[in-house]
Amino acid sequence: MAYDSHVATSPEHDAHDHRPHGWRRWVFATNHKDIGTMYLVFAGVSFFIGGTMAMLIRLELFHPGMQFFDPLFFNSMTTMHALEMIFGAVMPAWTGLANWMIPMQVGAPDMALPRLNNFSFWILPFAFILLLSSLFVPGGGPAGGWTMYPPLMLQGGASFPMTIFAIHMMGISSILGAINVVVTIMNLRAPGMTLLRMPLFVWTWLITAYLLIAVMPVLAGAVTMLLTDHFFGTTFFTAAGGGDPVMYQHIFWFFGHPEVYILILPAFGIVSEIIPTFSRKPLFGYDAMVYATASIAFLSFIVWAHHMFTVGMPLAGQLFFMLSTMLIAIPTGVKVFNWTATMYKGSLSFEPPMLFALSFLFLFTIGGLSGLMLAIVPADYQYQDTYFVVAHFHYVLVPGAVFAIMGGIYYWLPKWTGNMYDLRLATWHFWLSTIFVNVLFFPQHFLGLAGMPRRVPDYAVQFTDWNMVSSLGGFAFGLSQFLFPYIIWKCVRGGVRIGNRAWEGAHGLEWELPSPPPFHSWTDPPSEALIQQAAEH
Amino acid sequence: MPDKSSSLLSAGRRRQVRRTALVLGAIAVVFYVGFIAMMIYRGSR
Repeated sequence: MAYDSHVATSPEHDAHDHRPHGWRRWVFATNHKDIGTMYLVFAGVSFFIGGTMAMLIRLELFHPGMQFFDPLFFNSMTTMHALEMIFGAVMPAWTGLANWMIPMQVGAPDMALPRLNNFSFWILPFAFILLLSSLFVPGGGPAGGWTMYPPLMLQGGASFPMTIFAIHMMGISSILGAINVVVTIMNLRAPGMTLLRMPLFVWTWLITAYLLIAVMPVLAGAVTMLLTDHFFGTTFFTAAGGGDPVMYQHIFWFFGHPEVYILILPAFGIVSEIIPTFSRKPLFGYDAMVYATASIAFLSFIVWAHHMFTVGMPLAGQLFFMLSTMLIAIPTGVKVFNWTATMYKGSLSFEPPMLFALSFLFLFTIGGLSGLMLAIVPADYQYQDTYFVVAHFHYVLVPGAVFAIMGGIYYWLPKWTGNMYDLRLATWHFWLSTIFVNVLFFPQHFLGLAGMPRRVPDYAVQFTDWNMVSSLGGFAFGLSQFLFPYIIWKCVRGGVRIGNRAWEGAHGLEWELPSPPPFHSWTDPPSEALIQQAAEH
Repeated sequence: MPDKSSSLLSAGRRRQVRRTALVLGAIAVVFYVGFIAMMIYRGSR
């Protein structure tokens, strides 16, 4: 159901084209690009805050023995690092990219619900101020891990209710953002923009938005039960009162596994935009990519207990969750095959977005394969709670989700600003990131296989060497990330002007708009011929 | 000041936007409140 008419004629449109100035432009922002920018800036700030916490973790782990922090603070750092990166960096970055790109890609003037858009963004800074300030209250910050398992989490001090409330706020923000994305895609597509003509980034975000609406309430329910257990005398998760702490794990991971796909599906969309552009070929198997994304989303609801094989569950349960988890390799394999087939006999060039997409392709696959290893029940009994798990999910999330975000920003930044960024510096950023992300995370596989447990501030001396290597990789990776905001800042300030189409092989409606695009993206819907032409690529 | 980007759409389209948003909002509220209420109800029996 594409949007069919705009009442705006040119003079009327001008009347809507006023830009609020100064602080009002941002506080009262209803424009999708302004809100997208705010989300991206927020995500960038969170990335550096969460990254600083990661550096502190690696600093403490540089050498065995207690070096700098007490164990409680160390545990707070692992907990806050995860919450900050998942809810503060990656998810807002995706929402920022969705805000910027979805209206431009479907031929709409803006997001469907601009005021709701403003509200869903502005909840976030308050949620994170609340969460971060919990580090300074009596008893220290939350230290039960991002999974917040009871009974450990219930032993928290004043930070506990602050964390729960912050999570509620983040959840509400995500749900409102997701509703906006679905409504925009379902109602504001230009005439002729049928579902199977939509760019893959729009498709992956549509599916992600449904996942968000489905599972964020489950997280809210789980943490509310923790809250009532702590303050109102319920015993949902307290064995002494007839409750069951393992039930929390089931509820949490029923949210948690789809959450993993919330973090990665939009990355699939971005990589599916970048690879055809720099291969100068249409995406191989567009329909299969859409169905594979939907299959992954469906499967994400029936695999949650693979996170908790060792809690003790019936053999039939272990077999079901092991096999259903392995099934995910099929649609994921379809995607990896299709990206590779897109490049086959393509006229490839290696600008920074393509470099990040290629790095994603190789390194995300490593994370996927270690995921398959973890899916095997008897093997998981060995890997559970070791650094192997840490290596696995960091391969999925850093060179997976984070590299795709960086690739996406490098892909669309010239469109947003009208300027080309410093390609040489961005290539440096890519190589430093790719080399050091491997120095940082690959040795963690060895540490895990050798038996080093996760979430510990101290370790046995035989793990020293690889921990040192990992920490050095971490510091270098962290330092190299300062190039990213510098490159963006330099590009925003000026650079070589580009036309509508920043990249020779670029396709899609966004490249038909001027660079930078007008305040409202498509005040007149694009012609059907234009849409068809964009979709044929 | 908030701009009025929604007025770039026809009245029919705005109705459709509102309807989809309300349906999704209702689903989210039912999930959000319902899940918490159900758990508390089951836990208090």
